[in-house]
Amino acid sequence: MHTATTTVSSIGWDRQTLREMLVASEDAFSSTGHYGACERLEMKEGDPILYEKLHSRVRGGVVSARENAKRIAASPLVAQMGELCFSLCTPEGDTLALSTGIIVHVQTMSEAIKYMIRHDYETNPGIKDGDIFVNNDPQISNVHCADVQTFVPIFYEGELISWAASVTHEFDVGASAPGSNSVGPINRFEDGIDLPAMRCGENDRLFADYVGRCTKAVRSPLYWTLDEKTRIAGCHILRKLVLGVVADHGIDAYKQFVREAVEDGRRSFVERIREQLVPGTYRASVFMDYQFSQEAALPEEAAVDELFHVPVKVTVAPEGRLDISLQGANSWGYHSFNCTPVAMRGGLWALLAQTLMSNDKVNAGSTFAVSLDLPHGSWSNPGHHLTAHGNSWLTLVPFANALARPLSRGYQSRGYVEEVIAGWPHGTCLQGGQLSEAGVDAAFSNLEICCLGAGAGVVQDGLDYASCSWFPTADMGDIEDWESSEPLLYLGRTVKQDSAGLGRRRGGLGFESLRMVWVDMCRVQSFGEGLVACQAGLFGGYPAPSGYRHTMRNTNLPELFSGRQPYPVADWEPGEFDQPDLPLGADELRDKRSSTLLARHHRHDLYLSVSYGGPGLGDPLARPVDAIQRDLDADTMSSRLAAAVCGAEIREEGDGAAHVDAVATADRRDELRRDRARRATPVREWMQQEREARVVPRDVIEPVARMYRSAMELSPEWAGEYREFWDLPKDFVY
Amino acid sequence: MSAAATTDVRALGLDAGGTMTDTIFVDGAGGFVIGKAQTTPEDESLGFARSVADALGYWDLAPDAVFPTITSGVYSGTSMLNRLLERKGQRVGLIVYRGMEDTLRLEQGVQTWLGYSYADTLHVVTHRHHEPLVARSRIHGVGGKMDRSGIEVIPLYEHDVRRVVHELLAQGVDCICVNLLFSWRNPAHERRVAEIAGEVMDETKRSVPIYVSSMVCPKRGDFARLNTLVIEAYAAEPSRRQLAAVRETTRELGARFDLRVMASFGGTIAVDSEQLVTTLVSGPIGGCLGARHLSEQLGISNIVCTDVGGTSFDWALIVDGEQQITLDPDIAHFKLNLPMVRIDTAGAGSGMYVRVNPLSKRVEFGPDSAGSRIGVSNPQGGVSTVTVTDCGLVVGWLNPDYFLGGELQLSLDAAREGVRRQLAEPLGLSVEVAAAGVLELFESDLKHHLETAVMGQGFEPADFTLLSYGGGGPLHVGGFSEGLGFQDVLVPSWAAAFSAFGCVCADYSYRFDRQIDMELPLDAPAEERGAFVDKLKQIWKQLELRIVSEFAQSGVASSAISLTPRVRMQYTGQLNDIEVEVALDRLAGPDSLVVLVDEFERLYGRIYASAARSPELGYFLTLAVMTGTLPVEKPVLPEEPVQPNATPEAARKGTRRVFTRGEWTETPTYEMDELAAGSQVRGPGIIEAPSTTFAVPAASVAELDTHRIFHLRRA
Repeated sequence: MHTATTTVSSIGWDRQTLREMLVASEDAFSSTGHYGACERLEMKEGDPILYEKLHSRVRGGVVSARENAKRIAASPLVAQMGELCFSLCTPEGDTLALSTGIIVHVQTMSEAIKYMIRHDYETNPGIKDGDIFVNNDPQISNVHCADVQTFVPIFYEGELISWAASVTHEFDVGASAPGSNSVGPINRFEDGIDLPAMRCGENDRLFADYVGRCTKAVRSPLYWTLDEKTRIAGCHILRKLVLGVVADHGIDAYKQFVREAVEDGRRSFVERIREQLVPGTYRASVFMDYQFSQEAALPEEAAVDELFHVPVKVTVAPEGRLDISLQGANSWGYHSFNCTPVAMRGGLWALLAQTLMSNDKVNAGSTFAVSLDLPHGSWSNPGHHLTAHGNSWLTLVPFANALARPLSRGYQSRGYVEEVIAGWPHGTCLQGGQLSEAGVDAAFSNLEICCLGAGAGVVQDGLDYASCSWFPTADMGDIEDWESSEPLLYLGRTVKQDSAGLGRRRGGLGFESLRMVWVDMCRVQSFGEGLVACQAGLFGGYPAPSGYRHTMRNTNLPELFSGRQPYPVADWEPGEFDQPDLPLGADELRDKRSSTLLARHHRHDLYLSVSYGGPGLGDPLARPVDAIQRDLDADTMSSRLAAAVCGAEIREEGDGAAHVDAVATADRRDELRRDRARRATPVREWMQQEREARVVPRDVIEPVARMYRSAMELSPEWAGEYREFWDLPKDFVY
Repeated sequence: MSAAATTDVRALGLDAGGTMTDTIFVDGAGGFVIGKAQTTPEDESLGFARSVADALGYWDLAPDAVFPTITSGVYSGTSMLNRLLERKGQRVGLIVYRGMEDTLRLEQGVQTWLGYSYADTLHVVTHRHHEPLVARSRIHGVGGKMDRSGIEVIPLYEHDVRRVVHELLAQGVDCICVNLLFSWRNPAHERRVAEIAGEVMDETKRSVPIYVSSMVCPKRGDFARLNTLVIEAYAAEPSRRQLAAVRETTRELGARFDLRVMASFGGTIAVDSEQLVTTLVSGPIGGCLGARHLSEQLGISNIVCTDVGGTSFDWALIVDGEQQITLDPDIAHFKLNLPMVRIDTAGAGSGMYVRVNPLSKRVEFGPDSAGSRIGVSNPQGGVSTVTVTDCGLVVGWLNPDYFLGGELQLSLDAAREGVRRQLAEPLGLSVEVAAAGVLELFESDLKHHLETAVMGQGFEPADFTLLSYGGGGPLHVGGFSEGLGFQDVLVPSWAAAFSAFGCVCADYSYRFDRQIDMELPLDAPAEERGAFVDKLKQIWKQLELRIVSEFAQSGVASSAISLTPRVRMQYTGQLNDIEVEVALDRLAGPDSLVVLVDEFERLYGRIYASAARSPELGYFLTLAVMTGTLPVEKPVLPEEPVQPNATPEAARKGTRRVFTRGEWTETPTYEMDELAAGSQVRGPGIIEAPSTTFAVPAASVAELDTHRIFHLRRA
């Protein structure tokens, strides 16, 4: 990189280059601790009314740009599920206002702009009024390649005064496997089309060669084309809005405002941390797995079973900072589940926006009060330019889930009990392709996965089937819409019994969709909650059940249908379709894998897709009897679990209904508590036993040993803590 | 409001709100009276009769002297919506395909946050499920399935149908709804379910009505269709009985007209109409219809309607003399599929609480509101948080001695003290600067809503006239219209009663639509294109027949109905369509399809940036729409000659101190009813009426025209 110099063609404020502005902005923050060196918020303090007026106009404008533009799209992901987001950024790329939607991208869009600035795009390829830029490269700044970003610079009298930015989630980006979160790619070349922060248009029009390249490289060119128009139209709406603000209030007021808005966002976030959390260090770990060791289609280095370590340490500083460390995360690998640091920041931000800072003042200011420490070489920061990232959500979701518990402990300690949420699960995302006449996959990707059960709170059970950690506007979508674009029909979409983690408050329930293939042949894959639950209960609550797979081939459904025989519509007990006595066919597959490679299916095959429940909070033996009764009445909990986990004594009434006997339940619970006391050992003793039986002899399966081995290699700091915790010699390794 | 007695009463409007029932009577000269009485939810006809007596008391007339001359009577109200909110509807039984029985309790996830503010949408712990309208135990599945093309995947399990109908009847349901996937594409299964249910009812000698989605709502989108269907059965049917009782009361009072009900698409329909669910939302529609009437009478084609109420700010556009329609509204957290006048709303009313956030030191409005309790200035209100109205008092806009014509004495001191402690001190401003700042901020929020509403559809404010009504409208219109550059700003002197006035302006009309999903065969041979045109016309004909049959029930001849065909259209592959009116006479022959394309492209390019045009994808028709209208007699606008002394002494009430542009200014006040046509009030000035206050900003002038409508413009 060469040194930036001011030239007559500089497009930044006051004849600076954008690079000079970015450097100055970063210097100002590091020397003063305030964004834009705004030690005082002069406009906000001197003219609070004007400040609020500008704020509400800009924020409202971003939201309405999204609402208007999304109607252009054709993809159900964008037009109906709302998988898009708009933001308005400072010239340096910091977000000052954002819409709802996939808010994870507040970070990624900012970083992409900064990348272009740092790489001197101002000189080459140049940045002019009317230009359009595009990016989907995770190594530059993205979560995964399927999120495609558009940037439009906003000029006023020759100065770049802001950026309008937008992102949509694509059905398919031409990866080696169809779908928007492909499982299977093991390096960059298999991840699909790469658009590494490119200038793709000028004079408000896309270059024809760019359009040609993209539409040739993806499996759903129609969706791609209209989604791109959606992004551009929304950015143009935003540009018009900003120029209107400048016309009404003057360029100086606008410039002052954008600086103060980001600094104000930072301050309000700092205040929020101080108000709602207790300073100190909080820890939580979760895990995620995949099992590919038997996959003959993969090369040797990729055909492994892998366990991901997601150890989160959150330090809340008294002055209102969050320092988040992932020291202890294990190595990146030959799979599409690697994350980039910017994806990690995005996942963090999406979670914070829904919890700690959920108000209408959120913007990038908060990022200046948060640090993220990601070990180099780990899945969270591979540091290699050819890693695959097509499905980084597999690991990003557990990261966000893990953060919920530290934050909730902080809320609980401060007394903000209404804010507590035990965490979230993952789902199972069904995707794949349907062979067209030309023998090419037409991709599909079902995102009803965003409707999971939320974790339990202190004052309420978790929200049932309508929440996830990455997206606040959960929506299952219409069955008629999904069936119009997918080769599988819905035989059922039902509430899943016993899917909630139990506790004094239970987690939200999940739901499941039983799908039947309705074409001669298609290819299906999924990813999500694995063998190991990627969530955990809080304050004694139970985690929700972990993931599994259930499919059936060569069914006799046609005969059942023609004979008007009952057919399955759900899978109540895991692995038992709701008509268990029916001879459905021979090829039933039932295992504890939800992340799978593409598999062929034929007409009348069954495929189960589960959106899992949330973890519980508090001791299940403290669950109120009337709450148990409600779940029994609604068939959302089985008598078996109510008895085994919550200690409920259940009588069957004359009409077959289950009734919880409050008196007998109290007695039973006393007995269970006495039994617990008999079985309990002091933690120190238990640790000693574990140490000798497990840790010292390294009595763990190979994926676990490999996970700890690389985690310790990548982080001497974490290795030291691990050895100290288990009282191991300084040279202990797995 | 006219106080002179009249014998020529022509129209009746009735608005039964949750607490008050308003009636409006309009005479042949445009004079009107408004009556109020408490709503009687158990039997609305009682409250109606009292409200009528109250209104006619102003004219000193008895109902039986008035009702026989009335030619048009319209009901609007919130009773159906309240029935829904309070979950006090019918005991509905529901039949769906097996595996779909949980649809209502799943709420598609989306209903847990639909209608939330930006902040609460983000804040996941606030999201909630709602009690389903049909208990899970009364939802039964039957074997069967259709695919997206209407091809049978699984035959209908008729024995299932027999069993579940028996079960539902045994469960004592009031009615049965049937919603099967893709029934709009192939209704065979739904029809067969209805037939079998009829047979079972014959056998068991117990009969309940059946509602079938392919009849009530033959449109794509299973969840919204299900909600719409269930609400028709759950809430609309009980309301029909209420409406029939009200209609009976009008007849007992001598009415010769047939009471009609305001429908959400902007027309009025008969009490006996088959789709009463379209009247779920009717109240807010009134203002738009009044605006449309003004647009006709005054020859203004584009109007932005604005209604500032106590708890919300509503706005809507009239474009080329027509209100805009949305097909997928969400109401009371329900995702619905019914045509509704597109009215946007924001929680920004004059009763809204104003607070300074202790952490961020920023001004926040609401979302809660003092409603009818006004604010801290109302000694009887029991309100401890300052409202927008309190700020209006502090700056001198509102007269504490003339609120609701003096019915409610407000305390200026209490307002000042509240603003001082709660707003001024935390912000470091003086009391009046803080109050004026809050009002400015409130109005600028309203202004930005209007700006995005107009520009978001590709228009400029200069294309529009702004119309302000609602009790709070005239107070704030000067602020929220300033600088947007509207052609004109209109404030009717009857702004506070404009919605009720609008109700009696509604035509008698029916609107039916049907999913068609046909790709426009532009490149096909002429024969095919010709057949396409014929098929489209045939579908419109079927819709026309439904309209004619609805009108026939009220004895209206088909020759009196004027019909407007439309299609909903999109680029092939898109998921959102726009409504295109079709000139039937131009649609003839294979080459006429281009008529549709031209109109679509014109609208599309305006609404979305022209970069979004995609003709290369082809065109797709989603819905066929037909509207049949019978024009009814509408109120004429008042007509007064311009007076030489238009601002008589009687209109001048005196002066009071008003905080304007950073300083206290002695400002003249006027009595609205005493001003005559031609009167000009220069700002700053305050025009007071019992039901509203009109603040004329500095450097502006408000001129009263011959129809008693003020025009606010720059001086």
